[in-house]
Amino acid sequence: MSDAGKSGAALAAGVDRDLVFEIEQFLYREARLLDEERYDEWLATMAPDVHYWMPGIQARYRADKADLISRTRMAYFDDDLDYLTKRVERAKQTTAWAEDPPTRHFHMVSNIEVEATEIPDEWVVHSLVLNLRHRNEAEEQTLTARRQDLVRRDETGALKLARRLIRLQQTVLQAKNMNAFL
Amino acid sequence: MSAPFAKGPAAPADLPRDEAPASGQGPLDEAAIRAMVDSEQGWIDRRIFWDPQVYALEMERIFARCWIFVAHDSQIPEVGDFLTTYVGEDAVIVARARDRQVHAFINSCSHRGNRVCFAEAGSARRFTCNFHGWSYALDGSLSGVTAEELYKDNPTFDRSKLGLHKARVESHGGMHFACFDPEAPSLADYLGEFRWYLDVLLDNDEGGIEFVDGNIKSRLKCNWKFPAEDFVGDAYHATWTHSSALQALFGNIPTMKADRSFQVNANGHGWDFGLDFISNAATLCEPEIVEYLRENEVRFAERLGKMRSRMVGSLSSATVFPNLSFLAGHNTFRTWNPKGPAETELHTWVFLNRNAPDSLKEKYRRGVMLTFSPAGIFEMDDGENFEHCTASNAGVVTRRRKLHTGLGLGSEVEHPELKGNVHRNQVNEANHRAFYQRWTDLMTAPNWADVPVR
Ligand code: FES
Ligand SMILES: [Fe+2]
Repeated sequence: MSDAGKSGAALAAGVDRDLVFEIEQFLYREARLLDEERYDEWLATMAPDVHYWMPGIQARYRADKADLISRTRMAYFDDDLDYLTKRVERAKQTTAWAEDPPTRHFHMVSNIEVEATEIPDEWVVHSLVLNLRHRNEAEEQTLTARRQDLVRRDETGALKLARRLIRLQQTVLQAKNMNAFL
Repeated sequence: MSAPFAKGPAAPADLPRDEAPASGQGPLDEAAIRAMVDSEQGWIDRRIFWDPQVYALEMERIFARCWIFVAHDSQIPEVGDFLTTYVGEDAVIVARARDRQVHAFINSCSHRGNRVCFAEAGSARRFTCNFHGWSYALDGSLSGVTAEELYKDNPTFDRSKLGLHKARVESHGGMHFACFDPEAPSLADYLGEFRWYLDVLLDNDEGGIEFVDGNIKSRLKCNWKFPAEDFVGDAYHATWTHSSALQALFGNIPTMKADRSFQVNANGHGWDFGLDFISNAATLCEPEIVEYLRENEVRFAERLGKMRSRMVGSLSSATVFPNLSFLAGHNTFRTWNPKGPAETELHTWVFLNRNAPDSLKEKYRRGVMLTFSPAGIFEMDDGENFEHCTASNAGVVTRRRKLHTGLGLGSEVEHPELKGNVHRNQVNEANHRAFYQRWTDLMTAPNWADVPVR
């Protein structure tokens, strides 16, 4: 899904402004659902076969040809809908101590680009996400990542997230945990 | 009426020990260190989690003298394979050299001290410094010097003395440990009777274990000892701290059986475990893993004996002193790397039996990720505890009261099979006390000869 060599015009082929607008709104709404901890509604934006993936990142030399974005390697998330549901189930427990008082989440999404694919109702969507987490008195953590999504229109006409690859910027997570979805 | 700024009464000179003035007031001599840990009764001075002087001495007397886990064989299988990690705050390179042996040496150039290797892992022929181009072989020796003729007839330039500072490296079951103290006992003696327990994981199958590719790292604002002691024997916290994850997965909280569980320790290394065989493994939510363990139960027992075989996937946690922890059943190893008195870098790995079916690799990789990684539904609640146990000690008054670590006093038993110091009931703090006994032994001993076998 490399866009190398393609012009902006070619990228936009088959993608009209209304669709771009609709997908942008889809992603912004998703961000707000996460900020407001509306996790069941968030899960409802997923396709049944969703793959939600945040690989671990390593700093390696350029000459190193090892495939680091690989599903044989350790990850923060390499989830299907079942795994995502289990995570949400934990977050919803009254005994989820690390969420009480609630983490104050902030998801900012930008640089959204939409690309057509071979399949008429599926689009590759690139975006950047900035997540700030504030907890308790003065705890503040920043996560930034580049995302590559596959967004699909289902039989009901609704947009669903079918794939998400999240490339974190940090090799060493600068936080005690990752109690956030990006 | 008294004057508005009149001084209150002077503090009495004979304050009881737990109300004595807090850190930074007085030398950190042997008596002061001994007074911080009462491993008989289980009282721990909070200053050991906060005081920069204590931390500095830990780097000298613990991390620069103990055997520290640096790599598993499977992470660097080929000549030239390397990874970079830490022994205390010392950056080290661990590499497999042409002799096929694993070598570990300080990741800092002998010339001006620049970091030599910046990659976390990879494969190399040599390590070349970016500053002036000195290069080092895979065993750390100096192999090349830019324009070496400049040093011709130089009286202090001796190539053979300018290699990277090497550690001793010894291994057990494919786990390589590094040690920078020539006086330290062998790794085998350092692990002592705990080797017998380590083999529950490292040798329950003839092929031994391998690590899954990759390594997840994170930073916690906690003293390194809180997570290390948590794994050495804090079964007590499991059902409370992790109640949300247990509820989410099973809809209830399991109970631990006091009469069917133990804490064992040797030389400050400790493991708390039940004899349930399967409970840790079951939380990975991958039925194939449980099936694999059940199918091999008899084989494990043939290799390990019935008793040890019950530990293979059981409800348990463990720490090899000072900073290597693991969970049987969950199959994760991790190290707690100190980054100052109030900061720790966690490195985590997933492992499994090398001869296990290939499909299990995927199951363990994902199962550990879901449960015990920074995003894992269990581990998520741990970091919060460790950080706040540390941060609260900023308070000078807070530091004056010792912490109670007395659970399970008097629970030691003689056991016909189990080695080391054995305590009944894994919900216990016997292993904490043993961990801090070892800590005190090392912190007060000028030489290894003064460190008793425990
Ligand atoms: S500092 Fe490494 S070559 Fe000079
Ligand atoms: Fe825990």
